[in-house]
Amino acid sequence: MLCLERRMLGLVGFIGSDLHATSGRLLRCTLRSSTVQQTSGSTHHPQRAWLSSQAPLCGHHTPKHRTRLYGPFTHPQQTLGSSRGPFSLPLFTQRVALSQGPNTSTAKIRLRTRLVVTLLFGGGLLGTWWYVRNEKQQNHRMQRIEQLKKVALGQGDFSLLDHRGHRRTKRDFLGSWVLLYFGFTHCPDICPDELDKISAVVSALDKDRSLPAVQPLFVTVDPERDNVAALERYVKDFHPRLIGLTGTPEEVKVAGKDYRVYASPGPKDEDGDYIVDHTILIYLVNPDGLFLDYYNRMKDDVQIAESIRNHMKSYVKL
Amino acid sequence: MSAPNSNQRKACWGVRDELWKCLDDNQDNASSCDKFQKEFEASCPAQWVKHFTKRRDFLKYKDKMQTEGFELADGPKESRS
Repeated sequence: MLCLERRMLGLVGFIGSDLHATSGRLLRCTLRSSTVQQTSGSTHHPQRAWLSSQAPLCGHHTPKHRTRLYGPFTHPQQTLGSSRGPFSLPLFTQRVALSQGPNTSTAKIRLRTRLVVTLLFGGGLLGTWWYVRNEKQQNHRMQRIEQLKKVALGQGDFSLLDHRGHRRTKRDFLGSWVLLYFGFTHCPDICPDELDKISAVVSALDKDRSLPAVQPLFVTVDPERDNVAALERYVKDFHPRLIGLTGTPEEVKVAGKDYRVYASPGPKDEDGDYIVDHTILIYLVNPDGLFLDYYNRMKDDVQIAESIRNHMKSYVKL
Repeated sequence: MSAPNSNQRKACWGVRDELWKCLDDNQDNASSCDKFQKEFEASCPAQWVKHFTKRRDFLKYKDKMQTEGFELADGPKESRS
């Protein structure tokens, strides 16, 4: 009994990891059957006794199992744990019959093949997932653009005076990307913050030479006080390309209505000063004059710049 | 009266921040921050003073809602018909 086990262990050492599992099971089978053999004690030859006792205990071999064992994805550990195991004896003897050289290399090749196939499979899965995710994001962006196009802001025309006193209409800005903001110069904190943000966005996008220049526009919602001179004083604190726009109350109203801007002057105090409550949004308009997107107070300059880059990329594609 | 320029805005915001810091340190005890209050009113247009005072009240209220929680008010009563 013992010498047989020793012989098996020796063979385990020679043959590669593939067969380690089989041998392991074999070992357990043998150990189990050793007790049986002792009780039966029917033959003199240990091997034959072992063979005869193996069959009932360790089950019998089926061709199906043999191919399964040597399939590409069978994990050695799995077979090791299986108690149904068995089928190993005829397999084992068959392998023993063959010379051991090819066994080692085929075992190694099989392992390498398995690794390569697994990696390829995993890589394929990862690639597919990544592709699908990108498609989904692209779809989301397209959907949003479609929705905003339906809202169709900024379809009308406006005619206003810029901070140098020149008349400007919407047509003058076709061909450039426009960032539009409505506010007023007497604004305590929000308008300066938003204009600073816009300046930062435009500067960031300016750094990228491959992108077209963005034109920032500031339209007043307070035409009573914000005349050309007032705008000129105001816009120079921000990005050099920022253009301030004003006009008569009617002209300003038309422009605001186009973008559904809400504006409501508050009560005047003794100085005649008042604060205008208004929509706080930055609008993105594409070179065709189409409203594409809007950004509220929650978006910071990095997010806005990123969003504009994406819009520019999809625009070029179309 | 023309609008404050960039420097004036920043000066006003600075004084406002000092006032708010003082109020935070003194649990909104307005009397101990009287000096800052006077400076604040001098540096900022009257409308801005009102605006920022309201803003502070709102921020305190928001804080209270978030930390202490709130009770939902009763909604409109259902009409019986």
